[in-house]
Amino acid sequence: MLEAINLRKAYGGYEALKGLNLKVAAGEIYCLLGANGAGKTTTINLFLNFIDPTSGSAKVNDIEVSENGLETKKHLAYIPETVMLYGGLTGLENLDYFAKLGGHGSYSRVDYMRFFSRVGLQEAAINKRVATYSKGMRQKVGVAIALAKQAKALLLDEPTSGLDPKASNEFSALLKQLQGEGAAILMATHDLFRAKETGTRIGIMREGRLVREMSTDEVSHADVERIYLEHMH
Amino acid sequence: MSDTTMAGAPVRRASMIRTIASKELKEIVRDGRFAWTAAIMAILLIAALVTGAERYAGYRLTQEASQAASNSQFYSQGDKNPHSGAHYGNYAFKAAGPLSLFDSGIEAYAGSFVFMEAHKQNLALSPPAGDLSAIARFGDLNGAMILQVLMPLLIIFLGFSTFAGERERGTLRQLLSMGVSKSDLLWGKALGVGAAVALVIVPCIVAGAVVIAFLKVTPSGDAFGARLALMSLAYIGYGLIFLFLTLAVSALASSPRTALIGMVGFWAFCVFLMPKAAGEISKVVHPSPSLGEFQTDMQMSRVKGLGGGPPPRARLEIYKQQLLKKYGVKTTAELPIYWVSTSMQKMEEMDHEIYSYYYNSLNDAYTAQRRVQDNLGVLAPVLPLSSISMGLSGADLLHQNTFTAAAEKQRRLMVETMNGYLSKMAVDFNANQALTGNVSMETNVLVASEAVFKLVPPFRYEPPSLAAVMHEYGKGFAILAAWLVGSIALAFFTVGRLRPQTR
Repeated sequence: MLEAINLRKAYGGYEALKGLNLKVAAGEIYCLLGANGAGKTTTINLFLNFIDPTSGSAKVNDIEVSENGLETKKHLAYIPETVMLYGGLTGLENLDYFAKLGGHGSYSRVDYMRFFSRVGLQEAAINKRVATYSKGMRQKVGVAIALAKQAKALLLDEPTSGLDPKASNEFSALLKQLQGEGAAILMATHDLFRAKETGTRIGIMREGRLVREMSTDEVSHADVERIYLEHMH
Repeated sequence: MSDTTMAGAPVRRASMIRTIASKELKEIVRDGRFAWTAAIMAILLIAALVTGAERYAGYRLTQEASQAASNSQFYSQGDKNPHSGAHYGNYAFKAAGPLSLFDSGIEAYAGSFVFMEAHKQNLALSPPAGDLSAIARFGDLNGAMILQVLMPLLIIFLGFSTFAGERERGTLRQLLSMGVSKSDLLWGKALGVGAAVALVIVPCIVAGAVVIAFLKVTPSGDAFGARLALMSLAYIGYGLIFLFLTLAVSALASSPRTALIGMVGFWAFCVFLMPKAAGEISKVVHPSPSLGEFQTDMQMSRVKGLGGGPPPRARLEIYKQQLLKKYGVKTTAELPIYWVSTSMQKMEEMDHEIYSYYYNSLNDAYTAQRRVQDNLGVLAPVLPLSSISMGLSGADLLHQNTFTAAAEKQRRLMVETMNGYLSKMAVDFNANQALTGNVSMETNVLVASEAVFKLVPPFRYEPPSLAAVMHEYGKGFAILAAWLVGSIALAFFTVGRLRPQTR
């Protein structure tokens, strides 16, 4: 579903990504670990067509991103570290707007309520302006937007950082549900515990390279931490 | 990249654009800025339209009453020598332009009436300040000025953060991750901001129109409806130019603040600096004389002759000799025609050449200056717009010149009619008085009955037709259209290059 082939991105003399090869199939949660500046966000930006690759290719659903940016985005949903919404609009208005932008103009209010209840946003909140929302609530709206988009692939950039453990846990549970429904999920994270817990595979990046890949069922929590730290030295 | 193309089915595109527009409008209307800018705009615009209507109504009343009074004075001079009657003269009053309640144009500077008398072509004058109503203290406050100066500012205030704000708040990443095409985004945002601007302006104009209707001011003129439509078209175009420029700059700017500063700078350049600069530049390119120079030069030509030609007195002498020779007599008293009035009419006609030359050169210089200013409209769209607006309102140089030309034509007709009648009277008189000798130079002996003044029809004139106005300002429309196309193209270019911030 998501595929990077020898993907490189250089800014002048600085190489942010040095030939990444990566595949995330439908029903997989691929967790990208690595220090800040390792190239995780660059990878996500390339899949989103926010930047042009220097060489190599990024594909979504076998479609080349750099040639078909609008088409590939139709299959993608993106949830950043902090979901940015329109503060002057309510949660419901934000969801309605982004759903329509994503090409789904026929949802009813009942449909929206179902998305919100699935992500666990209290009914009392949905008609309040987003400016009053906590970070956790914003992330929930972000997931609701992704649900409404019926995306085949999700790109998550440290979506749970700064969330309290309960919210983080709920978020992971939602990801698992989506995975069960066949979504391909690529998640950049610093949370080794969640990566092992939620992910099906883990990739460790360092200085623009993927230095290690593993299946989560082959390793223990302790192994993940040990291997990660080994690569950071 | 291929983000800008991919036109889906037209219906889907239209609904996408509508979605973006309505979200944009909702955000703008909920923002605190909207209420107070709308309120200020509404107060100023309605006040300007209403004072404009009062001024217009007052002007029309005064013009009609003054013309009637002046005509009645001219026609009831009593029994009098006709040439003296021509000296007594009459006034011509300029008709109010059909839309001058909206745009008073040059009316405040150009004269609104002309004194028509024998021998002299006078400049149009304005009534002294004491004759003006209290409304005149508002000076230039008229609807056109509000729309030309403040409407762009309103557009800038409501639109500057459209893209730059999304970038600053971070919503641009979310927005651009959705797979919406950049052209849909641009059209949608333009429609949303445009709707917010219309939401402020249109009710004010409707309210102004209702008040004007209530004041029972009935504007009229050639093709009033078409003028109104063209006027709206020009102002909508002008608004759209600022709208798309604002969106273009908003997409380009690193922050909303930068976008605001850039656009307010352009606005000030456009509506304050350029009109003054264009005025000065046009005077350098096509110099026009001061009032003093104009009058001195013209008087000099009346004495010394036009362009080094023989002086009028010398030409009159030649004409006299020709006449004496033609009739084979030695003195003017022996002529079968009345030399006094014939010579006066001859002098009058020689003056016509001089007056025509000076007044035409003056008007040509002013017109050339205005055209230079319109051409400078490639730097500031307000320049051609203000010309178009004045022209359609009937408060421009074209209308002024048509009026003064008509007044001069009327003056010449009056003088010629009076002198002609005097000649005829003299010939008749001499025939009757054959035995007692000629009246020769004793003009004042010849007194006509008051009915003679009825030979001069009352002053009427036809203001320029809409076709004439459009002929003059067609180029201004073309310049505005070029601005609009250019600003839309610029907006497409900058929005097409729009990228979310990436680390």
